[in-house]
Amino acid sequence: MKVAIEELSKIEIITKEAKVAELTKEFGKFGITGMTIYDAKGCGVQLGTKEYEVEKNEDPQLLSKQVVMVVLPSAEVDSFLDFVGKQLYTGHIGDGKIFVTPVTNAVRVRTGEEGMDALKEGELD
Amino acid sequence: MNERRLGLGSVIATGVGLVVASSCLLSIGIGTSTIGITFIISMVVACALNIVTLLSIAELNALMPDLTGGLAQYSLACVGPFITIICMVGGYALCNTIAGSVEVAMFGNTIVSLLPGVHIPVWGYCVILVLLLMIANLNGVDVFIKIQDFVAYSLIASLIIMGVMGTLGFGTGEIVEQPAVLSSDFSGITGLCGLAFFLFIGGEYVVPLTKEVKNAKRDIPLGMILSMFIILAMQIFLTLGFKNYTSWDELGASTTPHILYGKMLLGPFGGYWMVIVSLLAVISSVNTVMSSLSYILMGMAKIGLLPSFFNKTNRKNAPYVGIIFEGAAFCIINITGLSTTDSLSFMISVLALLWMLSYVVSNLNVLILRKRLPNAPRNFKVPLGPVFPIIGILGTIWMIYNIDPDISVKLSLYKVCGIIILVLTVYAFFWMKYQVKRPLFKPYPVKEVMAMENELYEKYHRPKKNRKTI
Repeated sequence: MKVAIEELSKIEIITKEAKVAELTKEFGKFGITGMTIYDAKGCGVQLGTKEYEVEKNEDPQLLSKQVVMVVLPSAEVDSFLDFVGKQLYTGHIGDGKIFVTPVTNAVRVRTGEEGMDALKEGELD
Repeated sequence: MNERRLGLGSVIATGVGLVVASSCLLSIGIGTSTIGITFIISMVVACALNIVTLLSIAELNALMPDLTGGLAQYSLACVGPFITIICMVGGYALCNTIAGSVEVAMFGNTIVSLLPGVHIPVWGYCVILVLLLMIANLNGVDVFIKIQDFVAYSLIASLIIMGVMGTLGFGTGEIVEQPAVLSSDFSGITGLCGLAFFLFIGGEYVVPLTKEVKNAKRDIPLGMILSMFIILAMQIFLTLGFKNYTSWDELGASTTPHILYGKMLLGPFGGYWMVIVSLLAVISSVNTVMSSLSYILMGMAKIGLLPSFFNKTNRKNAPYVGIIFEGAAFCIINITGLSTTDSLSFMISVLALLWMLSYVVSNLNVLILRKRLPNAPRNFKVPLGPVFPIIGILGTIWMIYNIDPDISVKLSLYKVCGIIILVLTVYAFFWMKYQVKRPLFKPYPVKEVMAMENELYEKYHRPKKNRKTI
């Protein structure tokens, strides 16, 4: 199997729905060619407690969020995280979480292209 | 949620609005007549130092955005409530209330000198102005900004036109032949840096508008810095114009040097023009103080450093308790005649010392948060690491040292300043120990200060009457 030399990383950004449209507008400049966005429910270390509430929830209260999933060249990850952090930052609890994981390969089903080739505009068409 | 509707122009109008007060025009006259056009060097140094502090405030605003009050919240998260009360609640709010009252008095004095046949006392005009501005500000930020944009840009245009005409020798009056430089020695120039510092103080007043600004991330820091450059340009032109059209002796003796300059530049027409300019400066300053300080008081109430009634807003979302409080303070101070006494100008210098102290704390706040939250995203970060905040701290302390060239006056200022700090210390101690019940010197977590901005915070944390409704 032919694997592209360039390393890829998957980034999952969990944040408020209201922030997503503005966030994704400038993804193109980081070499991101596609994205997947899905609704989610969840909570963080506060177990869903609102920032103004006095007592922390004993049971997790799941809050509505969205997850933005993108794959991009690993070399772009640092600048991309910097960008996302600044876009999402409000200083309040609930700004979001970002998970970064390595991607060993990607395959475009229709053409069989792999690695970065599978993420770029197709050259085999 | 409020719709963000203000642009960069309004940010600059607010920045220039408070800074260019009619008392500033007097200070330029005093400085220039003392050492000549080398006062420009003092102004450039003071402007640079103010910009450094404004950069620090812009970084704090980036890290803790959309807060109603600004400086008090940053300090609460960095140095704890005790120092915050002394420097921000006491020094900052008190200083601006007194300074606003003096500006109101200058409005009354100018109108009385214009209409000598009308038998209305000075305070009568003061009360009319305050009431009009109170009504405007109670109608919300839109009305405030409409007045501010018009007044501030008329002021900027007038001063630049008059300054450039004087600089280039385009006036109808006679050009005065006199040495441009009266003193060029280091101590003479640095001795007036404290005076020059007042010419730029207050640019941070745009911070409470953050929630109303469309592109706050860009426009708040940019607006603050551009305000400083515009003010510096206006003042340099005026200084050069003073040199060309007013003799140093007359300039130094005048209590209204800008009106004297207007007359010497363009005859009686120029005098009237400068009267209008000084009125615009007064309205601009008082309008800015009334609007922004009411939001700052609201912010201080949100974080529990002032009584919670300052937190109330009317239908137009205006913090009406703060506006009425400020208006009442301006009226009372003027009706009792306090703002016409010599001791009040002395008080302004004392309170300006406290203002400078709040600038020292603001620069320190940047260093503290850099250490505590080194990796938090900052949409604006002061370049070159800790260099600029440290320059800001040392430079402002140096300005405090150079507050007045006269040693005895300086010592008196320090003494009165010390007494005020003592009184504020007593308030801070009892308020924190018996009302707020929190440690005096322990900074609040940033997330808690941010949470306090939420209107539900008070309902949950200081419930008493509201507990049943939660």
